[in-house]
Amino acid sequence: MKSTNTTWSIGGKELTSRLLIGSALYPSPAIMEDSIKASGSQIVTVALRRQMAGDGGGRDFVNIIRDIGVELLPNTAGCHSAKEAITTAHMARELFGTNWIKLEVIGNQYNLQPDPYELVEATRVLVSEGFEVFPYTTDDLVVAHKLADIGCKILMPWGSPIGSGKGLMNPYNLKALREAFPELTLIVDAGVGKPSHAVEAMELGYDGVLLNSAIALSNEPAQMAEAFALAIKAGRLGYEAGAMIQREFASPSTPTVGIPFWHQSD
Amino acid sequence: MITISLNGKITKTKANITIAQLVKELGYSDGFAVAVNTTFVPISKYEQTILKEADTIDILSAIQGG
Repeated sequence: MKSTNTTWSIGGKELTSRLLIGSALYPSPAIMEDSIKASGSQIVTVALRRQMAGDGGGRDFVNIIRDIGVELLPNTAGCHSAKEAITTAHMARELFGTNWIKLEVIGNQYNLQPDPYELVEATRVLVSEGFEVFPYTTDDLVVAHKLADIGCKILMPWGSPIGSGKGLMNPYNLKALREAFPELTLIVDAGVGKPSHAVEAMELGYDGVLLNSAIALSNEPAQMAEAFALAIKAGRLGYEAGAMIQREFASPSTPTVGIPFWHQSD
Repeated sequence: MITISLNGKITKTKANITIAQLVKELGYSDGFAVAVNTTFVPISKYEQTILKEADTIDILSAIQGG
């Protein structure tokens, strides 16, 4: 993984934006297009669903995204087993002509929490087949080790449940992942609701943030997309600059030498 | 005739039909991928894959996702 403020690389692609964006839930295709452009994102995730011939919608929106000139990241959203996810990944590779796959294997319908056992199994198979797996996982350190051990170069722990907008519910665990895997690309995926959440993720040293609802469900998606672009850049700059050490007591910023009017006799 | 499940719907089609013939009859041209009984079938095998009674066929295309 190469990581600098101006460029970074993921899945063999050199990029400038650290914002990965979803293509769902926008009020219209035009607003989706405006939002993707405003975000500056260079990776857009898409899904696969049953469609009959002539439905047409799928190709139309993919063409809009392709025309923007971004990388497509197909996902396996909706899969509940390794078998389903593997098959979907195979179909996506043919359909989109990419070995990238955002691997989602849902284990609980209430909070859309990933199933770690099925996720690891699907990852093992897909990595062996040459896929670049972007696994949507929890912030569990042991699962992360399993994924890394079988060859994952990217980990995408959740900030909080998909679509919740609750932000980073367990910064401690996310920080532990960053410290445990300095060589891996870490992306916070899911749960980000506000630009400040994205700043927080980047300040933890994460390489990027993947989000959808926070932009698409805002009142002004294109404006929010720009806000996230700025937030992610700010967070990264801050991380690279290195934050000061927190102190328990106040410490004056202004020099104390030459204070006028009082304590003159001290 | 055989009975198959096509994108979740039970339907009848002619016996010994290949995937290539099926997708052509249904009007698909491009922008789709096929799985039979939850296993992916690449385009290169459409001509030689003959559907059987009770097969489950999924034909997927792109959709917005997050």
